[in-house]
Amino acid sequence: MTIGEHKTQFAGKAVVDWDAELGLIDPQDRVYRIRYDQEESWLDMLVTLLQDPQSSQLFGLIMGAWASAYNGDPSDEIAALVEAQTQLPALKALFIGDIVFEESEISWIQQTNVSPLLTAYPALEHFGVRSGQGLQLGPIHHESLHSLIIETGGLDATLVRDVMASDLPALEHLELWLGTSDYGATWALDNLAPLFEERLFPKLRYLGLRDSEQANDIALAISRSPLLERIKVLDLSLGTLDDLGAAALLANPATAKLQKLDIHFHFCSETMIDQLKTLPIELDASDSQLNADLDFDGQRYVAVGE
Amino acid sequence: MLDLVVIGSLGDRRIELLQGALAKLQLPPARLVSYSDLIAGKVDLRDLLTPTSLLRIESPGKSVESEHALLSLGANCEEPEACSYERIGQAALAAQPFEKGLILPSRQWYLGYCRILELIQQQAGQTMNHPAAIMTMFDKRACHALLESHALAVPPAIGPISCYDELLVQMRQRNWRQVFVKLAHGSSASGVVAFRMHKEQYQAITTVEMVRHQGQVRLYNTRRIQIYRNEGEIATLIDALCRHRVHVEQWLPRAFSGTRIFDLRLVVIAGQVQHVVVRQSAMPITNLHLLNPRGDLEAVMQAVGPGRWQAALETCQRAAALFPSLYMGIDLLFKPGFKQHAIIEMNAFGDLLPGVLYEGRDTYSSEILAALATSQVGAS
Repeated sequence: MTIGEHKTQFAGKAVVDWDAELGLIDPQDRVYRIRYDQEESWLDMLVTLLQDPQSSQLFGLIMGAWASAYNGDPSDEIAALVEAQTQLPALKALFIGDIVFEESEISWIQQTNVSPLLTAYPALEHFGVRSGQGLQLGPIHHESLHSLIIETGGLDATLVRDVMASDLPALEHLELWLGTSDYGATWALDNLAPLFEERLFPKLRYLGLRDSEQANDIALAISRSPLLERIKVLDLSLGTLDDLGAAALLANPATAKLQKLDIHFHFCSETMIDQLKTLPIELDASDSQLNADLDFDGQRYVAVGE
Repeated sequence: MLDLVVIGSLGDRRIELLQGALAKLQLPPARLVSYSDLIAGKVDLRDLLTPTSLLRIESPGKSVESEHALLSLGANCEEPEACSYERIGQAALAAQPFEKGLILPSRQWYLGYCRILELIQQQAGQTMNHPAAIMTMFDKRACHALLESHALAVPPAIGPISCYDELLVQMRQRNWRQVFVKLAHGSSASGVVAFRMHKEQYQAITTVEMVRHQGQVRLYNTRRIQIYRNEGEIATLIDALCRHRVHVEQWLPRAFSGTRIFDLRLVVIAGQVQHVVVRQSAMPITNLHLLNPRGDLEAVMQAVGPGRWQAALETCQRAAALFPSLYMGIDLLFKPGFKQHAIIEMNAFGDLLPGVLYEGRDTYSSEILAALATSQVGAS
C-alpha cells in the first residue's frame, strides 16, 4: 500500500497548503497544511502562521513533511504545537504526517509521542496520524474527540491496546490501518477483541479496520460481534478481503442495515460482489485486485516508445 | 517547396504526425527512409538528398525490426570503454523470439545506433537534428557531464559504477540516501530505478520487472511500477542494470502541484521553449506513457511565479544551445518551494506530444516552420 497523494479533504473540509504570502483566507472552512519546502523550517512556517490575525479562527491544521525525507521525528514540532494551544483556540482538526510515497516510505516516517497534543487541545474533534514508527499514544481520555485515525504500514500491538484502553465518549469514527508484518505489524486479532466484545465507544458510527492482511479474520470477528448492529459504516478497504470474509458479513443480517460497506481494493469474486450488491446499502467494491496480476503481460512496454 | 526526407520506422506514429503536420501546412509529404534499409545499405542518402533537401532523423520508435537491426549492427562494434557490457551475438539475436518489453543489451544497441548516426552524418546535408547531438543525448552519462561542465542545473551524479555494492559505497561516501539509477542508453523510462535507503531498509521503485528464467535474470519494461524491498533482489536488479551501463544521479525532491509531484517536459524549438507539458505522478517516475496524467500548466506557472519560471526556461534554452539540433525535449524538475530547478533528462526525440499546442501549432508544425525560417531549404 502506497500513498501517492496528499490529502485533499480532512474533517469534511478542503485542504489547502499554507502560503505565507496568501495568509489564512478561510480559516473556518479550510484545513491548512504546513509542508516543509527545503528552505524555511517547519517551525518557522508555524510561527508565521500563528502571527496571522486569522489564526485564532483556525479550524484545522495538517502537518506535512516537517523536514527532508525521513529525517528525524517531529518532537520539536509537536512541542511547538502544544505551546501554541492558546493561540489556536478554534482548532478542531489536526493531522500529523501527511507525507506521501515520493517523500518517504510510510514505515520510514519517524513518529513520536503525540499524546501531549490531545491533552493540550481538549476541544479537538478530529485527530489523525500517519506511520506507526516510534508512535506513542498511551491510553487517552478525551471528551470531544469524534474521529481518531491511525494510518500505518504495520500497526504495533501496543498502539491497538492503547486505543482499546482509551476513554473516548464522543468517538464516532475509528480508523486503524493495520498493515502487514513486513512493515512491522505486531497486532493480533486478540488485541481488537475488546472492540468486538465490549461496548467501547458508545457513539461509534464508522469503523475502519483498513489495509489489513488479515481482513478475512477481521470480517469474521465483526460478523459475530454485536458491534455490527450499532455502526453505520464498515470500512475494510485496502486489505486482503476475499470471498471468505465477505461471505461471513453477508451471513449476518446486520450487514444489510449498514449505511455503507467499503471494501475497495479487495480480492472477492464477481459472484460475491453481485451478492453484496443485492444488499440495500451503499457498497464500494471498486479496485478489484483479483485479476490484476493477469494483466501483467499487457503492462509491458517496449523500450523506445515514448 | 520543402523537400523533407525523414529517417524513421514505417508505421511509427511519429511519422504519421509529421506527415499530418506537413499536409496541414500544405507542404508535400516527407520521403521516408527506413532505418532497416539504411542499416542494410539498401539506400544511400546522397542519392536522395538534393542541395535544398532537409533531413530529419526520427526515433527508431517501437519498431522491433529497427531494434534488432541496430543490435545486430552493434554486435560488430568494439566496446570503446575498458568495461564489458552485456552483449548478444547475431546468431542468438536471430534466434531470440520477440518478447514485448524484454530489455535487450542497450549498450550494444547504442553502439549500433552510433554507427548508423555516423553514417547519416557522412551522407547528410542539411539536417533538422544533428547526429552528434542525438548520440550525446542517448548517453545519459555524457549528456549529464556536458550540462554540468556548462554550469547548468542538474542533479549531482555518481561516476561509473559496475554493481550494487559500489553504488552503496558511493552513496555512503556522499551521505546520500536516494538516487536514480538509469540505463545510460535507455529511453521512455526503460530501466529506471528510484532507489532509497533508511537505516537497514532498502527500496527500489522501478519500471523494471525481474523474471528468473533458467537461472538467469531477465528484465522487462513494465507500466505497472514495481517496488522491491528485499535487498538481495534490489542488488540483483542493480547488478543486472549495471551490465547494460548505467547513469546514477541524486534523487532530488520534487515540488508538488496540487496533491501530486510533478516535473515538466519542455520542447525547445529554434532556441525557444515552446510546448510544455506538466507530468504528474503519485510515483517517483513521471513519464506520461506510464499512464500518468498531464497536469495543469497554468496552475504550475502561477505557483512557480514569473521570475523563477523565466529562469527555468533560460536554463532549458542554454542547455539546448549546447546541441546543434533545431529541436529537443527537456525534462526539468522544480524542488519543493520552486526556488530551484534542475534538468533531469535531455531527449533527442522528445517532441512526441500529441495534442499539445503552442500558439495553435503542434510540435511538428512548429519545427517545420522553424526549419523553413532558419535554413536554406525550400528556396527553389
